[in-house]
Amino acid sequence: MSSSTSKALDPSSVELWDHSHHHHDVISTRTFGFWLYMLSDAMIFAVLFAAWEVLSYSHSFAAGPTPASFVEPGYVFLQTLALFTSVLAYGFTMVALKNGNKAGVISGLWGALILGVAFLALDINDVVHLVGMGITPDLSGGLSAFFILTQTHALHILFGLLWMLVMLVQVSRFGFSADVVGRLLSLRLFWHFQAVVWVFVFVFVYLRGMLI
Amino acid sequence: MLVDLQGPWSPLLGRLALSQIPYENPILAPLFVVVAIMGIAIIAALSYYGKWGYLWREWLTTVDHKKIGIMYIIIGLVMLFRGFMDGLMIRTQQAMAVGPDAAGYMGALHGYLTPYHFGQIYSAHGVIMILLAATPLLVGIMNVIVPIQVGARDMAYPYLNAVGLWITAAAAVLVMASLFVGDFSHNGWFGIAPIFELPYSPGVGVDYWMWVMQLAALGSTLGSINILATIVKMRAPGMTWLRLPIFTWASLATNIIALTSFPALTVALALIGFDRYLGTHFFTAGLGGNLMLYTDLFWLWGHPEVYFVILPAFGMLSEIIPTFSEKPLFGYVTMVLATFGIAGVSWAVWLHHFFTMGAGPDVISFFSVATMLVGIPTGVKVFNWAFTMYRGRLRFETPMLWSIGSLFLLLVGGLTGMMLAFPAINYMVHNSVFVIAHFHSMLLMIVYAIFGAVTYWWPKIFGFKLNEAWGKAVFWLFTAGTVGVFVPMYTLGFMGMTRRLDYVFNTQWQLLLDVQMLGIAFYSLSVLAFLGLLYVSIRDRAKSRVSHDAWGTTHSVEWMTPSPVPFYNFAVVPHINARDEWSWRKEHGFTDLRPDHYEDIHMPKNTGIPLILGVLTFLLGFGLTWRIWWLCALSLALIIAVVIIRSFDADTGYIIPADEVERMERAHHDRAQAAVELPQAGVPGGVTAYGQGNKPAAKGEVGAPGSGISSPEGSRA
Amino acid sequence: MSHDNPLQHPEVQVASGRGYLLTFLISTLLMGVSLLLVANHAMAPFGLMLVLSLCAGLAVIVQIYFLMHMDLSEAHIWNTVALVLTIPLFILAIGLTAWMFSTLYERTMVMLPTMHGMAGMVH
Repeated sequence: MSSSTSKALDPSSVELWDHSHHHHDVISTRTFGFWLYMLSDAMIFAVLFAAWEVLSYSHSFAAGPTPASFVEPGYVFLQTLALFTSVLAYGFTMVALKNGNKAGVISGLWGALILGVAFLALDINDVVHLVGMGITPDLSGGLSAFFILTQTHALHILFGLLWMLVMLVQVSRFGFSADVVGRLLSLRLFWHFQAVVWVFVFVFVYLRGMLI
Repeated sequence: MLVDLQGPWSPLLGRLALSQIPYENPILAPLFVVVAIMGIAIIAALSYYGKWGYLWREWLTTVDHKKIGIMYIIIGLVMLFRGFMDGLMIRTQQAMAVGPDAAGYMGALHGYLTPYHFGQIYSAHGVIMILLAATPLLVGIMNVIVPIQVGARDMAYPYLNAVGLWITAAAAVLVMASLFVGDFSHNGWFGIAPIFELPYSPGVGVDYWMWVMQLAALGSTLGSINILATIVKMRAPGMTWLRLPIFTWASLATNIIALTSFPALTVALALIGFDRYLGTHFFTAGLGGNLMLYTDLFWLWGHPEVYFVILPAFGMLSEIIPTFSEKPLFGYVTMVLATFGIAGVSWAVWLHHFFTMGAGPDVISFFSVATMLVGIPTGVKVFNWAFTMYRGRLRFETPMLWSIGSLFLLLVGGLTGMMLAFPAINYMVHNSVFVIAHFHSMLLMIVYAIFGAVTYWWPKIFGFKLNEAWGKAVFWLFTAGTVGVFVPMYTLGFMGMTRRLDYVFNTQWQLLLDVQMLGIAFYSLSVLAFLGLLYVSIRDRAKSRVSHDAWGTTHSVEWMTPSPVPFYNFAVVPHINARDEWSWRKEHGFTDLRPDHYEDIHMPKNTGIPLILGVLTFLLGFGLTWRIWWLCALSLALIIAVVIIRSFDADTGYIIPADEVERMERAHHDRAQAAVELPQAGVPGGVTAYGQGNKPAAKGEVGAPGSGISSPEGSRA
Repeated sequence: MSHDNPLQHPEVQVASGRGYLLTFLISTLLMGVSLLLVANHAMAPFGLMLVLSLCAGLAVIVQIYFLMHMDLSEAHIWNTVALVLTIPLFILAIGLTAWMFSTLYERTMVMLPTMHGMAGMVH
């Protein structure tokens, strides 16, 4: 510690106040905070997966239907394709942003939005179909966990789509201001993160659910 | 898909009906009258003195982290009082209802509280004390101190900070609403599966509990993101990680815990919500549900939460003890490592809350050993504090008294925690009041640290010190209460008394319960003394004004800006040269805190949107509790709309020109000069006990602070 | 790190169309392989779960690297640090929960633990 170094210092050699007029990096401060939020959101999924792990034993379905009896893997793979292409479209939006191409950003956003809507429509259709067959979350603990986990992901998609709509308006209205660019970057984290979560949902809920 | 409800429901008011107002309850009805009169008095006073504009401009719409922190602390103190009243009622009921011959009043068979009412009181006591008293107090102190300690002008996200505050306030209002509209949960603060399921708890109590916790969790998560980003991204130039003040380190660790653990609570509560609203079977006893899953998910949050509340308290002790030992903190690096060690281990111990569940011996052994491991970093910390005090020039001013009290409680609570970590002992004392006494020792350790921190940093925020004599009176009365309540409680736990008893069957426990009554009487006196402390200190504030370095031997960056801290914190951001920057500057004679130049300052604008969001969040929570679906839909839609509208506001900041900053700084400086002599350059004010001489000869006698120096107390330099 | 033009910010400049396309192809392929393995009951359940976990893990690593740009560059180091600090917590939360409940089920004899996750034996 400093107790041994108390010899006089030359005041002129010491920097006591900040002279650099350093600009605070608004964009990365924003994206870092958003990333922290995403990690906390990831923990929500982790805990839901823990609940699914506990409630996906065969006795958890209380002799009722299990995912093996109703999951259609081909249909879910279609959802996978829709989401992954939407994520790809958002990726191309980011490339357009890098090139300062406003029309590219807007059409990329539209692409991601439409494919995201396709994913959500497939999901809603699936849920309606299941409920029509009498397979509802209140049948058993296992189905509760199955529905809540998959639909929490779908809810995230819904919010992402809403956000994209807002960004479409903001990009046309404000152009590439620091705020708008920061938001587009945060939305990138959010949207691409949904693909990561989907990998787990697809493999450990749908596919593994077929093995119960 | 919605579940069928027992009892009436209407589309307009949901389950709300006039019969839900407990106007014939002999405790709640008079309380409501008192609260109503106080509310009217406050509104009348605000109108009479024309303070509405001031309130709106300076507090309700502020994004200043210090004011937000102060409001957090006010919420925390009010809720601490409410939780204390619940504790008082628990204690009086248990002392009155002993044995079959105990008299009964107000409809109760024994004592004066019916079992159902008693159940609500202990549930509310726990929820309020943990989530709405301890948490806001700690978040408030972190909010005030961390940005100043890292040399920043505000939080990374000032607007989000205000949103977090008002969501927390919404939670506090919702829990208070449960007093007068409907009732509160009666199934313990952590929820007992499957009692909270709709068939067993058909009323709104559990819904209140659920949404109060949910809102408080949301507020804390937002707050944690903010503090983490502030520490990572907003540090002043030169402040490398190993120069970070120790309280900031503790805040970093604690908010990592908050960020990652609160989602578990969110999920656990949301799943109860699905069970109660949609009829799912997560935690039901049949149909494939698993009621232990709830306990697991809850403590998956609940145990890290314990460390979330204790780590800032450790950080506070690490700031206070060196200041009043007039030595730098012993073992800074090991302190940081210990903090992160505790934070890390906190994630692998939660099963010790339900050892009796019946998991296999391997699992129980793993969690038992992990729990005991916590003792190692905690021990490191205790020894570091002890070595900091060793051969220091100890001054027993109020913050130091609270800190030492805190250390004693840490010892008692920590050692009993070690006992509880043994599964064999745990099975014996599970759900006995021994456990209650243990975790109250730990939480009171935190409360002691908070009182110490409030006393310690009070002059920084308000520019004057709290009265020393009254502060000491509060401390000793509070300590008498702690000893009086919790020593008998440990004893009763060993004698087999279980927790949550509204009727005590064993008349032999009467004496110890009466001693606890004596203890709670001392606590009550300490509450009065605290009010006296505030009154006297504010009345005599002119006599106790301080300059920037209020205690004379402080060491970190927050003491390098005027007291009270101007709204922009630092006219010019300091360049950090050492770990204890202020000690370093005092040691090398750089005590003139007037910067060599001034520059424009960019500050965030006030905004009323966070308050609106808070009100809407409250309405959403209220609507969900009472199942008023149109209100839920409307408030949720409005919340989303308001957030979107705010995102279109590109004009959220303003510039203070450099000459204006200079003018304000000069005013601060003149005021400080008028109050007390500023420390003279070249005199290192008690930086280390082993330093280079020319130290004040303060001997630190109790009750005689500042003896031996001519300059007034507060600038002993 | 001051940039007057937000488009020059390193987090914008890191975008790469080739990386995104590669991620799309790899993760679609891995998901397709997983799907085929499960649909055809290609392996014993334990081995199958192992391969599925491997596919998921690989897809996620690719996505985290190429899509989320988690690396050690100055612009992303803190995001990476935050992620690396959080991943063990996910593993602890899920893993320890799974462990304690599998022993609980075993000891309360709700079912034989070896049957968990096995195809074709339950229904």
